[in-house]
Amino acid sequence: MAARLEVDLLKDGKPLTVARAAINADWSALLTAAQAGDADAYRRFLGAVVPFVRTVARRRCWSEDQAEDVVQDVLLTIHRVRHTYEPGRPVKPWLTAITVRRAIDATRKRGRVSAREVFDEHAYETFADPGANQEVDKDAPKILAGMTAGLTRGQKEAIDLVKVKEMSLAEASAFSGQTVASLKVNIHRAIKKMRLDLLGKSSE
Amino acid sequence: MTRLPHTLLIEELTADVRPVRPLASPLRRAASTLMALALVATLAVLVASNLTQFRSLHAGREVLLMLEMAAMLATGALAITGAFFASVPGRARGWLLAPLPFFAAWLLFSGTGCYNLMISNGGTGSGQPSGDSTHCLLFILGVSALLAPAVIWRLSRAAPIDPLPVALLGGLGVAALSAFLLQFFHPFAVTFLDLGVHLAAILLVVGVTGLLNRRALIGRKLPV
Repeated sequence: MAARLEVDLLKDGKPLTVARAAINADWSALLTAAQAGDADAYRRFLGAVVPFVRTVARRRCWSEDQAEDVVQDVLLTIHRVRHTYEPGRPVKPWLTAITVRRAIDATRKRGRVSAREVFDEHAYETFADPGANQEVDKDAPKILAGMTAGLTRGQKEAIDLVKVKEMSLAEASAFSGQTVASLKVNIHRAIKKMRLDLLGKSSE
Repeated sequence: MTRLPHTLLIEELTADVRPVRPLASPLRRAASTLMALALVATLAVLVASNLTQFRSLHAGREVLLMLEMAAMLATGALAITGAFFASVPGRARGWLLAPLPFFAAWLLFSGTGCYNLMISNGGTGSGQPSGDSTHCLLFILGVSALLAPAVIWRLSRAAPIDPLPVALLGGLGVAALSAFLLQFFHPFAVTFLDLGVHLAAILLVVGVTGLLNRRALIGRKLPV
């Protein structure tokens, strides 16, 4: 009885069951609008379902990191199969089925990978001298600074974010304010200029 | 590997979102597919089969034949309907098992028919040479090969998130309907050997569709 009372606790002045029904209707309306091409409704829908998807994913994943991977996979799957949602039907069973499926896929993938791959830190060592196995050359920052000296500010920023910090174009665009297209152009021109500079130095 | 923040992924997905037409309900899509198949099958039977020979071949065992064919038809129709339900996320999973009782009934009625035939022939089988069963094998495989692409194309519209059960049910449905159609073109009453060949052909069709599942159902460009 106590558990039942907890379930029926009020949320924003309404019983939880009413609140849940309201959420379902809200998500259904947003997804239906998204199917019609409403980008704002689609953005709100995807943003609103992330916590629910994360909760379902966590129950089937062994780590927080894997659950977040599943959340992203679910977002991509929703985008791919959004036409399969039948307007008027509850959204949660549709969403739960997608999440559970993607969590199972992730678990199977992990099983396959761990069955066929081993982690051997010594496998990365190719030379007897430990210093020679260092991935990062201590002079690398100096060399890179010299190579990028002749670049414009936008080109330097594009190279730094995408090639050095290994951000995706979308992340670098959000970080720098440059559009994805201008990032691509800047990277292309910067690499071309650095290559010409290196060729010039080597021929001297 | 660096994971994209969820907000950025959502921005990317919603940046150029295009309208999509929601799929009709699985029941409606299954019904329209089955009606199209029924139309083709009826035309094929009326044009190409010998109904007089069919009636004379099964004279005296009409009830058992009707039960057997009804079970075949139910297996095929429920398997295809189940495949349409399984192709959409969140729909009742009970449809996956729906054709199985009718498949069992089909085996039971067919087995009974074969047994009766064997008894009437003095326990020696029908006397048909085994080579005749090749016709049945080729018929089921051939008709399934003609029907399966259409059914798989209809199922692939949903881009199933779990394609294997969809492909297996679709394969079973097509093979069962092919076996149903075979009854009208069968030149002799079914023997145990023949029933075994029918089952082998059905398993082959289900196996092939199962192997092709992902490639056939979600390999093409999706409507996004």
